[in-house]
Amino acid sequence: MVERIEDLNLPNAVVGRLIKEALPEGANVSKEARAAIARAASVFVIFLTSSSTTLARKQNHKTITAANILDALKQLEFESFVDPLTSDLETYRKVTKEKKDKAKTTNSTPAANASGANDEDMEAEKAT
Amino acid sequence: MASEELFPAELSEEITNKNFNEEEKTEILEKETEVEIADNVEAVEAASEEKVNGASENVAPEARLFQLPLSRIRNLMKLDPDLNIASNEAVFVVARSTELFIESLAREAFSYTTQSKKKTVQKRDVDLAISSVDSLMFLDGAMNF
Repeated sequence: MVERIEDLNLPNAVVGRLIKEALPEGANVSKEARAAIARAASVFVIFLTSSSTTLARKQNHKTITAANILDALKQLEFESFVDPLTSDLETYRKVTKEKKDKAKTTNSTPAANASGANDEDMEAEKAT
Repeated sequence: MASEELFPAELSEEITNKNFNEEEKTEILEKETEVEIADNVEAVEAASEEKVNGASENVAPEARLFQLPLSRIRNLMKLDPDLNIASNEAVFVVARSTELFIESLAREAFSYTTQSKKKTVQKRDVDLAISSVDSLMFLDGAMNF
């Protein structure tokens, strides 16, 4: 699975850029502070996933969906994230659908029509 | 994406799916098509990530949808022993919320930086932010893995 411990870190460059974007011009971030925020972000992913799987299991769902994540965020007092995420998700769905439609015209597989661009698009990837 | 090389099994699965597609295009099962498409989507996403990472300013709007690598997020999510399958949308939402999380933690930490009349955020400021915000309580003691 995860073969090296570094694979659990989020890329420094991206984290650094996200921090910079959030702060006013002229603000700097020390390396240690950036590492701490990156680490916190990794923990956040694990924490959020575990809350979401708990919610999904309560509904007897094997697959965790975007809705589970949003519900978990509400529960974890990150309610302020939900509105922006909902609109991001809509954009994501649109983009994914466009890509699918493009793939459809090139592949012309009839089954692709039936699948739709919904949350039901599962990855047959087991977490083993 | 170097991290994808860690999953030769998945890659070969994708390849078999593709071969299968070519051979029996008409008799394909819906489920497998979905998987195939999911793979395609991820490939395209990986490509747009690369574009963003290439730091070019005039990228297509969809390339700006997220910045964190979805494969890395998925790997972190898979650490959860109770997780069976996560939909692509779920991984996307986790990635985006992590970005929002990073931004809000940075802003919170920066408020302590300005309080001490500094311009560079230090680790101390991050620690202060974590111990003062209720919703960040989960990080207490979880930072030394």
